[in-house]
Amino acid sequence: MKILLLSPILFLMAFILQLIIWKIRIPKRQIKVLLVIFFGTLFTGLLTLKIAPFSIPGLAVYSPRHPLEYLHISISFISLTLAYMITYSAIEADSPSLVMIRAVAKAGLGGLDKKEFEKTMNDELLVIPRVRDLLNDKMAYIDGDKYRLTPKGFLFARLFVLSRKILNAPKGG
Amino acid sequence: MAVSYLEVLFPVIGLVINVLFQVLGFRYIASIGLLKSIFLGFSVGLFSVITLEAYVFFTMSKSAQDFIAIIIVNLVTYSALGYCYFHFLNLGETARRIRIVRELYDSEGGLSLEGILERYNARDIVQKRFERLLNNRQIIEKSGRYYIGNPVMLMMANIMVAMKLIFLGKESEFDFHRE
Repeated sequence: MKILLLSPILFLMAFILQLIIWKIRIPKRQIKVLLVIFFGTLFTGLLTLKIAPFSIPGLAVYSPRHPLEYLHISISFISLTLAYMITYSAIEADSPSLVMIRAVAKAGLGGLDKKEFEKTMNDELLVIPRVRDLLNDKMAYIDGDKYRLTPKGFLFARLFVLSRKILNAPKGG
Repeated sequence: MAVSYLEVLFPVIGLVINVLFQVLGFRYIASIGLLKSIFLGFSVGLFSVITLEAYVFFTMSKSAQDFIAIIIVNLVTYSALGYCYFHFLNLGETARRIRIVRELYDSEGGLSLEGILERYNARDIVQKRFERLLNNRQIIEKSGRYYIGNPVMLMMANIMVAMKLIFLGKESEFDFHRE
C-alpha cells in the first residue's frame, strides 16, 4: 500500500510545486527546470521518509522499511515523471499537425483551402523557432554562419540515428 | 516484506519485451505500420507483466491487499514507460528538432540556415502532415478543400490548447499577449 500511495503523492507534490513556480515566472529552459523540480522532490521526499518520518504526524506508518521499497517508489515516480515531461514538451512547442487540424476545424463547413493554409505555415513559424530551440538547449552552436552540433547534440542525434536504423525506417520529420 | 526484487523490475522487463516485439513486428510483419507495431509491442509487454504478477501471486504467500497494490503500481509504471517509448518513436518519426539535428549530424562542417532550409523546410513539413492526416482519415479532402474526418485528433488538439492555457497562459507559442 505504501508504494501505491507514496509514488503518486510525491508526483503530485512536484506537480503543484511546478504550477506555483510557473505562475511566478515561466523559466527559459523549462524541461531542465522540470527535471530539477521533480527529481528534487523525489530526493527530498525519500530522504524525509528515511531520516525524519516522525517530522509529520502519521507519516511514520507509511515510511518504507526496506531499500527495495525505496527503489520501487523511485522507479514508479521516475516513469510518471518521464511520461509527464514528454507530454509537457508537446505543450511547449506547437505541433504542426494539431495546428493544421484546428485550422481545418475553424474553416468549418466551407473547408480549408490547402494553398491558402500553406501561405501561413512558413519557415519562420515551423523551422526557425526549432533551430533556435537547439541553440537554447545547447544542442547546437553557431560557428561563423554555420550551425554545428555540440557533443550533447551529437549524442542526441546518434540515439535517433540508431533507433531509426534498428527499425529500418527513413529520416522522419 | 510485500515486494520481491523481481516484482520491482516487472515494469522494466515488460518494457524490454514491448520494445522487442515492436521492433520485430515493424521489421518483419509486412502488413504492420509503425502505430500497429507499437500497439503490438505494448500489448505483449502488458500481457507479460500481468503473467509475471500472476506467477508471483500463486507461488509466493502474499496477501490479496499487497498483491492488488503492487499490481496497480506495476501496471501504471509499465503503462507510463510504454507511453514514453511510444513518444520516443513518434519523435523519431515526426519531430522537427530531431530532423534538423539529423541534418546537422549528416553534414560535415555544419550547415547554414539556408542549407538547413534546403534540406528541410515548411513545405516538406506541411506536405508530410497533410499526407499523414489524410491516410489516417483524420481529415478528408473534397474538391480541393479539407474537412475534419475522425475527430480524435481534433479532441487532442483542443486538449493541448487547454493545457497550454493552464501552464503557459497562452494558446500558442506564437501568442505574445501574456508577455
